[in-house]
Amino acid sequence: MAHHNFDRFAAGPLWHNGPTPGGIYNFPGRQVEDSGRFQERSKQPITTGTSVIAFKYDNGVEKGVAIAADMLGSYGSLARFRDCRRLCKVNNQIIVGAGGDYADFQYVQSMIEQKTIDDECLDDGFSMKPRAIYTWLTNILYNRRSKMDPFWNNFIVAGMQDGEPYLGSIDKLGTAYEDNIIGTGLGMQLGVPLIREAIERKPLMSKAEAQQLLVHTMEVLFYRDARSFPKYQLGFITPDGVTISDPLYLDNQKWGFALYKK
Amino acid sequence: MAVVEPFAGSRPMEANRFSPYSDNGGTVVAIAGEDFSVIGSDTRLTVGYAINTREQSKLFRLSDKTVLGSCGCWCDVLTLTRVLTARLQMYNHEHQKVMSTPAVAQLLSTMLYYKRFFPYYVSNILAGLDAEGKGAVYHYDPVGHYERNHYYAGGASSALLQPFLDNQVGLKNMTNATKEPITRERAVAIIKDAFISAAEREIHTGDAVMISIIDKNGIKEERFSLRKD
Amino acid sequence: MSIMEYNGGCVLAMRGKDCVAIASDLRFGVQGMTIATNYEKVFEIGPQLFVGLPGLATDTETVLQRLKLRVNLYELKEGRKMQPAVLTAMIANMLYERRFGPYFVEPIIAGWDTKKQQPFLANMDLIGCITVTDEFALAGTCGEQMYGMSEALWQPDLEPEELFESISQAMMNAFDRDAVSGMGAVVHIIEKDKVTTRRIKTRMD
Repeated sequence: MAHHNFDRFAAGPLWHNGPTPGGIYNFPGRQVEDSGRFQERSKQPITTGTSVIAFKYDNGVEKGVAIAADMLGSYGSLARFRDCRRLCKVNNQIIVGAGGDYADFQYVQSMIEQKTIDDECLDDGFSMKPRAIYTWLTNILYNRRSKMDPFWNNFIVAGMQDGEPYLGSIDKLGTAYEDNIIGTGLGMQLGVPLIREAIERKPLMSKAEAQQLLVHTMEVLFYRDARSFPKYQLGFITPDGVTISDPLYLDNQKWGFALYKK
Repeated sequence: MAVVEPFAGSRPMEANRFSPYSDNGGTVVAIAGEDFSVIGSDTRLTVGYAINTREQSKLFRLSDKTVLGSCGCWCDVLTLTRVLTARLQMYNHEHQKVMSTPAVAQLLSTMLYYKRFFPYYVSNILAGLDAEGKGAVYHYDPVGHYERNHYYAGGASSALLQPFLDNQVGLKNMTNATKEPITRERAVAIIKDAFISAAEREIHTGDAVMISIIDKNGIKEERFSLRKD
Repeated sequence: MSIMEYNGGCVLAMRGKDCVAIASDLRFGVQGMTIATNYEKVFEIGPQLFVGLPGLATDTETVLQRLKLRVNLYELKEGRKMQPAVLTAMIANMLYERRFGPYFVEPIIAGWDTKKQQPFLANMDLIGCITVTDEFALAGTCGEQMYGMSEALWQPDLEPEELFESISQAMMNAFDRDAVSGMGAVVHIIEKDKVTTRRIKTRMD
């Protein structure tokens, strides 16, 4: 920490035995090795996942959050790994979806799992709510970007918070926001408008309709996103709990629009 | 994206360096009256030409008489406001009273300067009532320089709106205008007009305005739609 | 620093009801240093035809001289006065000839179209991309400020006196927030049968 320690400029502590407000706070007690050379640590993603899309639905009877991501791990432009699960169940009311560097995602996933276990060990009958995970992830990503060593991911936190659908997004800098429809990467540019239009046409959507819309959006994304793949997973968070589907395939592809199709 | 490029080494390192900052747009405007303050922000959150969300207010209610408007690098805004809220909580517990607006203003300046060599990339405007109950507006640069004023515009549209406020609130270049204190209705109307104008020409500003009106009875909130394109 | 900001200065033009106004500041400087406070950037090309040439001052002069030459040749050859739209096309062509080594000026053309009997207002970038507008046009170092002011103060169908008030207030308050523009202003209001020119005193800092 010696190279960017600002604490020596600070006044005496306002309070003791706690985190320093404003200081770079090491979250789950992990010390990142500091070589003192920024260049070594600024990096690029290696094996990457493309977009994640998610939206809330509610028709008065059925409500929840629908989320989807394909299963490709791209290695540059090479479609290298075909079985990368990018939706992970945190507990019975949260799914986290991830895009970007897959190794970073797996590392963060292990942190989330450890945190879930720690929570479970308290045995107080409580489990984390989606907004808690969202805030926690935001802090972790912001702390890593502040060390110039980011987790190169976009995360989408989907869940049920106190009986209501919850949806939030965090990028590699710790830029976080909540919304009713969220997509990352090409999912934001191609997927979100499709979903928004469909919801404007039919605001009260059942789970089955939400699923149909999600599959359609994944299909369109597959047509135009060169880093996508026809094998994907769907996730649903409802008041009854969390389900993540087995790998699904985009069958019934309609390539009629392709001009030089034989 | 592509990592395994055979000639990656021949490119200068600078080209691909990670930047810890991003510009997420947003505009904040505040006007102080005799016994009230009005502060407004738009609700658009952007990255480059993409809109992340159309429903993100940049106003943070710090107490019943202080509201902070904050925009720029959104991850810094989130962190700064979270730490600031924590410090206000600590003050509350230690002193058993709510921190006054001028004290919050000084605290914010100190917190910004604390990160002088790795700054929060944030435009801050603080609005509220001072110890005498008068309207107060403070504005900041990213590293903690601050100043009290009657009105201020900050963020993506600051250059468009500051001369407008000079004219309409500060009555600059008005030769025969009588300098009487601004009314609440006029302050709110000016803020709405300002945002309508800004949304016409600044793509990082738009969608809606959230307005907080602070007086001795507390804070009233108002929402006003802007163009969404 | 951009070469467009070397000398400072700004031009703003607005259209009203059967009138159009064009204004410039009076500062001429070299970066931070003010050299003169009587440097108009709007020039009379015809009886009811004005062109504003904010940008690099040396190019302002050069473009103006080359423009005058061409306007004179045109009027000798054609035996009639030049219409604003023709002047706009001429400037655009002149600038586009220097597509890859441009003159650093952003012209604004305001005048009375004597054929259609209506005001004309157009502007273009430094390589001659024309925009004809019936609202307002502006260029210069305090462009953002002028956009903010003009969006708020301009409205359709202003009478000449109202238009004068709007353009003056818009320009003054805009350049008061710019270090390299200001030091007074000049406003021309062009109507069907007359042109009114006024000098405005402003803060000199």
